[in-house]
Amino acid sequence: MASTTGMHVVVATDGSKQSLAAAKHLMSFADPAKISEISVVGVVSPYASVAFADDISGSTGDRTFREAANDAVATVAAVLDAWGPKVSKKVRSGSPANEIVKAATAAGAGLVVVASGGRGLSETILLGSTAQRVQHSAPCPVLVVRPAKRKKK
Amino acid sequence: MSEPKATPSAVADDGGLKRSITGRLLFFYVLGDVLGSGIYVLIGAVAGEVGGAFWAAFAVGVTVAAFTGLAYAELATKYPQAAGASLYVNKAFRNRGLTFMTTVLYLSATFAAAGSLAAGFARYFGQIWSLPPALLVMIVFVGLLALVNYIGITESVVINMAMTIVEVVGLVIVLLVGIIYVGQGNADFSVLVNFSSGDNIIFAIIAGVALAFFAMTGFENAANVAEETIDPSRNFPRALVGGMAAAGVIYVLVSISAALVVPVDTLANSDAALLEVIRAGILPVPVSIMVLVFAIIAMIAISNTTLVQVVTQSRILYGMARQDVVPAAFAKVHPTRRSPVTAIVFSAFVVVALLVVGDLLNRIGLQIDIVERLAAVTVVLLLVVYAGVIIACLKLRGQDDTDDSFRAPTALLLVGLVGNLVLLYYVISTDPGSLLWCAGLVAVGLLLFVAELAAGKRDRPPGVERGTPIDGGN
Repeated sequence: MASTTGMHVVVATDGSKQSLAAAKHLMSFADPAKISEISVVGVVSPYASVAFADDISGSTGDRTFREAANDAVATVAAVLDAWGPKVSKKVRSGSPANEIVKAATAAGAGLVVVASGGRGLSETILLGSTAQRVQHSAPCPVLVVRPAKRKKK
Repeated sequence: MSEPKATPSAVADDGGLKRSITGRLLFFYVLGDVLGSGIYVLIGAVAGEVGGAFWAAFAVGVTVAAFTGLAYAELATKYPQAAGASLYVNKAFRNRGLTFMTTVLYLSATFAAAGSLAAGFARYFGQIWSLPPALLVMIVFVGLLALVNYIGITESVVINMAMTIVEVVGLVIVLLVGIIYVGQGNADFSVLVNFSSGDNIIFAIIAGVALAFFAMTGFENAANVAEETIDPSRNFPRALVGGMAAAGVIYVLVSISAALVVPVDTLANSDAALLEVIRAGILPVPVSIMVLVFAIIAMIAISNTTLVQVVTQSRILYGMARQDVVPAAFAKVHPTRRSPVTAIVFSAFVVVALLVVGDLLNRIGLQIDIVERLAAVTVVLLLVVYAGVIIACLKLRGQDDTDDSFRAPTALLLVGLVGNLVLLYYVISTDPGSLLWCAGLVAVGLLLFVAELAAGKRDRPPGVERGTPIDGGN
């Protein structure tokens, strides 16, 4: 959009470890010189039973859901900070897939990075996950980072 | 829902602090929460207690609840965290035992409410397909709602709005029947001042109010979304009290309509009382079709309200686990779905257990009406919580006030407090059996606490103190 020097990338975090891994995965192969800005986006869903769960910041204490989202977004942003491109932080409110797509649209993003969970029953049979819904309606290419295959305990 | 397109400058930096719940959305959320419960499930029971004047019971019940709503509105504007009663009591008294008990009482109330609603759902279901046993319908219903909660559909603002509109449409149909009936000149208005127990009108009304109070439960869930409300000090009080008032007006009108169209005895003895209004055949549509349509509407309405209870249960358990008062497993969220699986499964299990116990008691010959019993249990538990919230509100006066925090009229809060205590005394004195159920539910909460005390030490890394959330992941 406004930027002609590089791509605006939206990195979504739902507070899961996998979303942190997704951000690191982006850094493992992309060329930071071609990225103008990275927006780290977290979404609080007020109607859901857990509006936001932060498993990555390591913060403790009694936090509100929005504070948890801020912490998770800051954690992912900190990982990306030294990489080069300008990093901005955003916490939105609403339905995660919707808000990620809106954030990408508003920013004129050239890439959205999201994490996706396992290949479990719930992803296959039940309604699609946030990652699937983002892929469906994102205004740009979507990088879905799946967990590395692990041996079962 | 329609979010204005963010301008590039707003996007550029930390401009993402957007809240999504507008005053209008909150209003519909409150209305949807409240409408599904009492009126569809309990109207017959209230009519039985009071007589033709049962609209008055709804009017009084709504008013007492709305005064408590004012306290919630004040506290939610002062402390807009996504937590309700327990947070307020904690702020006011700084006593961990009291805070824990408030949380457990509220959690227990949501269990009982979900049980009562599930049983009410089964009754409407039985009206259109009576083959499956009611208990089975209830269990499947609770299971499906747990699944919906797990998937996370509840996050959808659109679905929430649609469900609320369906609920309102159902009640508008009842109103329409009443209006047509009155228009035909058949209505006998004297029924509206008719009390079943002729000797003591006050007691008849209080009896009805105690049940009608259940119809208002759910409004306190608005505190869940306070944090995400835009301009909360302005929107929250308006939407909360406005939603409750709107529900109250609808309740009174629907009660009057039902009382005019259907004999009170028929309402009182019906499993699905509002269906009797439809069966009166006033509308120029075949009765069988209308009954089917209305039963479906009623089931959607009940599902919506139950779903909010189910979501609240898992949210409370999640919060308690974060504070280390129940085992850490409850704070574990599914890696992709981000929903607290243990809390959801456990909650469904408790609600089903309530329903099974009710069924067993009936089988061994203790005739209990599970809908009414669990409604009474909910009301007892909530009245204690509500009284605590009002006291907390008064105690927190002068603290954390900001220029634009909403301030509820003290006199109304005091009336609300007295109203809650009178109702509490009445419900306990007429239905002492409900205390056993309350005790059973509270015991579940205490057991979880004991489990945390016993196991919490083992799963806590050395050097980490209680009260520090430990990593729920692998």
